[in-house]
Amino acid sequence: MITLVAIFSVWEAVSLLGIVSSDQLPPLHNVLFTLVQLGGTPFFMARVGQSFVNVAAGVSLALVVVMPLALLVGLRNQLDEAITPIIMLVGALPDLAILTVLVTVIGRGNVAAVAISAFSAFFPIYFTIRQGVKEIPQDYFHVASVFRAGRLDTFSKIILPSIFPNFLTGLRLSFEFSWNVLLAVEIIASVAGIGSFISNSIQGSSHSMTYGLAAIMTVGLLTVLMDRAFFERLEQRIKRWR
Amino acid sequence: MAVDNRLHVEFSNVTKVYSEPPRSVTALNDISFQINEGEFVCIVGPSGCGKSTLLRMIAGLDSPSSGEIRFKGNLLTAPHPKISMVFQTFALLPWRTVLENVAFGLEVQNVPKRERENTARELLGMVGLKDSENLFPKQLSGGMKQRVGIARALATDPEVVLMDEAFSAIDEFTAEALREEVAEIHAETQKTFLLVTHNLPEAIELADRILVLSARPARVKSIVPIELVRPRSPTASDFVSIHKDIFSLLQAELEASIMRRRLGEIKEFQKLRDMEDR
Repeated sequence: MITLVAIFSVWEAVSLLGIVSSDQLPPLHNVLFTLVQLGGTPFFMARVGQSFVNVAAGVSLALVVVMPLALLVGLRNQLDEAITPIIMLVGALPDLAILTVLVTVIGRGNVAAVAISAFSAFFPIYFTIRQGVKEIPQDYFHVASVFRAGRLDTFSKIILPSIFPNFLTGLRLSFEFSWNVLLAVEIIASVAGIGSFISNSIQGSSHSMTYGLAAIMTVGLLTVLMDRAFFERLEQRIKRWR
Repeated sequence: MAVDNRLHVEFSNVTKVYSEPPRSVTALNDISFQINEGEFVCIVGPSGCGKSTLLRMIAGLDSPSSGEIRFKGNLLTAPHPKISMVFQTFALLPWRTVLENVAFGLEVQNVPKRERENTARELLGMVGLKDSENLFPKQLSGGMKQRVGIARALATDPEVVLMDEAFSAIDEFTAEALREEVAEIHAETQKTFLLVTHNLPEAIELADRILVLSARPARVKSIVPIELVRPRSPTASDFVSIHKDIFSLLQAELEASIMRRRLGEIKEFQKLRDMEDR
């Protein structure tokens, strides 16, 4: 908190004293004022919403595909040996290069945005869940067998709670990844969203740097809020027993 | 103590072979014995001899390569509702409270919540953990964890309780207290208990009979009835003499197995040398 105040004071001072021209670094109070103003602008909020929906859709899509795959691979070693090397290979491909291909094929639109954020969300979830399943102690499965738990109970009462901490880590990483990649997508491919808003502002008229910085801070705030409101809370629940 | 003579668990010519290509390893070799209802039987043998495999077969976690295991005359091929198990690692589910852990077996059998929680509470009282039902396993000591493990095993009202090295991950003081409690539970409930252990005094303290296995591939070396009056003191002279007898049995077995292995090595060596000579 103190560091934050210090950084902001330096920023304000540098800008007000004219060390850096206010076109390049607008004073903090202007940015904050714009931030609040933007918060009340339907156009801007629609852009933010658009980006958020794209990320959420991408991550959800990835989850639907990855969850069953990662679970199977975690439980069956032979399947793991067959599939994981391929996935590692695909994961090594650069997200943004794939984006260029995608945009040429399906055009610059929400579909491309969702597809690329799903792609970047895929890997963190895959590897964390796979690891989580592999780390389930064999004795937990023995407990399930001895008490004759059915497949569904074994899944919902042994496997799912066992991997929940890993699942949470994976989801968190995926969200961060996806969010970053999506902003890049929006900027590079001019897909409507907060990313394109930022690049348009910065490349636009003179005092628009203020808008750009305000929009960037909005992204930061959103990420922190999301973390606090959602992930931190779930993590606290795990900490009770972990 | 009166022991009912009804046949409960029966092994007939059970052999277990693990095939790990290109070799196959015989873990259990032609094992036959009978356990009566209400008996407390301890299984001892050199480490790695397959004692635990034997127990896991009764639990339905493993199956014999040949021969058969019967429970009350019926062939055992899968986990049986009247056979329950206590694990060396405790195997408590960390995200469940003590109460939820004890109720697990009833829960997966769809026993209504109220009913299974009442049963679980009753058993927690029995193992002295009445006030801990809302704690998570990480908040418990090793001894307390195993109490939960024992309560969980009893919650489904089994006729046979299998204990796999149930006291070996607990400090000796706590383990001794827990053994005494298990002996009491056995006396009260008249359930059949089977304990696999490498701790000979523990076996002598608890068992009606001790099954001594040989080194791998395990055979039944001897079945020793323990007729000492309970509670048993490890310092009493008859306790000590039984200990000495079984100990020398095990020691002889261990030496024999070492000799067998050496002989095997020598043969292997000779084979190699012959090949080189050629």
